[in-house]
Amino acid sequence: MANDALTPRPPLPDGRGGEPRVEMLGISKRFGPVLANDNVDLTLWPGEIHAVLGENGAGKTTLMNVLSGMYQPDDGQILLDGQPAVIKTPIDALEQGIGTVYQHFTLVPNLSVIENVVLGTKTGFRLDLGNAERQLQTMLADFALNTTPQTEVRHLSIGQRQRIEIIKVLFRGTRVLLLDEPTSVLTPVEVEGLFAILRRLREQGVAVVIITHKLDEALDLSDRITVLRQGRKVGVLDPETLAASDRETSRLRIVELMFGGRPSSEGSDVASGSAAPGETLLTLSAISADGDRGAPAVKNLSLDLHRGEVFGIAGVDGNGQKELGEVIAGQRRSTSGSLAIDGRTLTNQGVSAISRAGIGYVTDDRLGEGSVPGQSVAENAVLKTIGLAPFSRKFWLNRKAIERHAEALIEQFDVRTPSASTQLTLLSGGNIQKLLLARELAMKPKVLVCNKPTYGLDIRTAQFVLKTLREQANDGNAVLLISSELDELLDVSDRLGVMYNGELVAIFERGEFDVETIGQLMLTGRRATGVAA
Amino acid sequence: MTLNGIDVTDFLTAMLATGLLRAVPLAIASLGDVFAQKAGLLNLGIEGMMLSGCFFGFHAAYKTESVVLGMLGGIAGGLAMALLFGFLTIHLRVDQVLVGLAITIFAAGLTGYLFRDWYGGQNVAANVRARSIEIPLLSDIPIIGPAIFHRQIIFYICWALVPVFAWLLYRTRFGLNVRAVGESPFAADAAGVNVIRTRYLAIGLAGVMAGFAGAFLAVADLRIFTIGMTVGQGFIALAITMLGGWNPWRIAAGAILFGMLNALGDSLQIVGVGIRTEFIGMLPYIGIMLALVVLAGKTQLPASLGVPYARGQR
Repeated sequence: MANDALTPRPPLPDGRGGEPRVEMLGISKRFGPVLANDNVDLTLWPGEIHAVLGENGAGKTTLMNVLSGMYQPDDGQILLDGQPAVIKTPIDALEQGIGTVYQHFTLVPNLSVIENVVLGTKTGFRLDLGNAERQLQTMLADFALNTTPQTEVRHLSIGQRQRIEIIKVLFRGTRVLLLDEPTSVLTPVEVEGLFAILRRLREQGVAVVIITHKLDEALDLSDRITVLRQGRKVGVLDPETLAASDRETSRLRIVELMFGGRPSSEGSDVASGSAAPGETLLTLSAISADGDRGAPAVKNLSLDLHRGEVFGIAGVDGNGQKELGEVIAGQRRSTSGSLAIDGRTLTNQGVSAISRAGIGYVTDDRLGEGSVPGQSVAENAVLKTIGLAPFSRKFWLNRKAIERHAEALIEQFDVRTPSASTQLTLLSGGNIQKLLLARELAMKPKVLVCNKPTYGLDIRTAQFVLKTLREQANDGNAVLLISSELDELLDVSDRLGVMYNGELVAIFERGEFDVETIGQLMLTGRRATGVAA
Repeated sequence: MTLNGIDVTDFLTAMLATGLLRAVPLAIASLGDVFAQKAGLLNLGIEGMMLSGCFFGFHAAYKTESVVLGMLGGIAGGLAMALLFGFLTIHLRVDQVLVGLAITIFAAGLTGYLFRDWYGGQNVAANVRARSIEIPLLSDIPIIGPAIFHRQIIFYICWALVPVFAWLLYRTRFGLNVRAVGESPFAADAAGVNVIRTRYLAIGLAGVMAGFAGAFLAVADLRIFTIGMTVGQGFIALAITMLGGWNPWRIAAGAILFGMLNALGDSLQIVGVGIRTEFIGMLPYIGIMLALVVLAGKTQLPASLGVPYARGQR
């Protein structure tokens, strides 16, 4: 498949000379203070696969949601076949030939394939499945799906379900197919199958859009690549450019567009890295673990964490970072390898043993596993220590001690809340995050693992959180910071590791951070060599 | 052949006839509740809807002396309660368990009050007689002839609804929409199904059938109303719906099974087996509990049962 993009393609018969199918002009979309799309243009041609690339939060999904009717743009216009179009809901979009396959599939598991396909279509009261079935049989065969229309969807694999999703939208006459991160849930073999299908749809004149942050996939598959960065379109590689330059040149060009020109961060106020690395606090030796779906998520990963350092983990979401954090916190069983804290081996000893040994863990799922949203700030503040004195004795809770403790944390971490007895859900995301961080730090962990602690926070709060982590390290503890924000990792880390596909593919010391190399590693797991790899 | 002086053929005929009669309201109420549950509505108000059907069915039959108008009155009574349930749970998204129990208690209070007010609490019989037909030849077969083939027209109509509801659930767009909105309302919405309307239709159908079942009890079968006369049959219907795996055919079988258990109790009393009547009366309920134990873990509830739906709120 690597050769595919290198071979210059003959000009496409239709499309190139014809009308563009979709033109999005000057699309802007704002969410509160965040400008998710800023005056973005996107043109889709029939018979073309168009990749939209960008980092997390670059505005790819927002742009697609505008086209699929999920969001209304604040500004801008959409033309379909040259005519202004009104797309108010996903149904509107479907009826105008724009079909979307979301990352989270929208199939009903207990219904059969054919029932899912005809669900919501407007025909008579009696279900006429005979006609639909003949049509579906052909499509199932086309898509190499070895299943009957009567099979319930819950019996199908993820890859099969995705194909059913595609069939479902094509069944309604879709001519523009949007796929949001279509390969993130697939095995390599399934990815190959999907690409074959997308290429065939291209031949049939469908305009295909894939949203992805996987650079190699975009290069393998697409005729045209649009790069977004911080909500703006920063570049388009058209078919001529892609055909004219070799793969490595295209790759470098895209990495430059996505990551290039960042200000150097050394000397920023949160960065310190003053102390020389001390003794080892946490040792991971060849740790492997499975993800929620049972596929390996962390592969043979080794890492030493020392006193006084912040170790940053960079990577595109879903490359095993969350699972790594959970293994260290004792929430996820490792399948092989060992974990030692301060010299004591504690592999798979469970949350409480690991917590007692001095590991703190701040999850990225603040309201789900991080807290009990319906309870008060004070109750949440002692959630992990409620069984200990002075908060409880035997059956009895010591309300006074709980409240005093919570008030101290609120004061110390500047948690903005009307009182300690306020229900947690009434707090903003940033204040909840500060509370969770305060709760972990109150337990005086030797090693603190934080997963995306600044996600969704305003800049001031984010800076406060990062500063707190930095101080934690300066006090002689260790911090493992998992984040998808490369900038903050560059700011605060003493060492920076890149995770790709469950592996730690590189570790950089402070001073040798090189944004473009790190970007390359995040996107492809490899360093650019200048020569085609 | 006789048993304690009772002819065995007569005994079996009576038991089968009673069992099938007792099964009718259970089957009818369950068939309707399949749609409510499949659409994601845990209808604990079914007992109240059924009782409402009993009272308003009886009242209509008493005033008009017409079986058909009596049945329609019952249907209206059940439907009114169902629409109240729908408004509170679908529209206002109040907790379904709370609303269901409230409706059951409300219906008990309302029918009790109206019965005392309008009838002085006297047990008067409605002057109606549901017509029977005798199917030639088949009704001459011993035991099953008189028990199955010489019955009221309404009895046949009720059982004929089983295939109709199976068709409605599996072979119509409405049935498909119902099955989708109880499982994944978000997916259904994304596919273009009107979730709110589908749920209203489903609870409406459940109310119609619960009211119908109540009216069958009070108009076609007993021709009287007594306060609280459903004595938990609505809840048994709810359990049968789940035990039958939301499949109309299996629900019909389940309803017959519990009807027969009920009839067995009666028959044993008549024969004079030395068991206390209270114990015999427990039989069907013990049966329900045994069935729940046997089927534990084998039923898969609709994934969104009891969960209110609002677009954009996952």
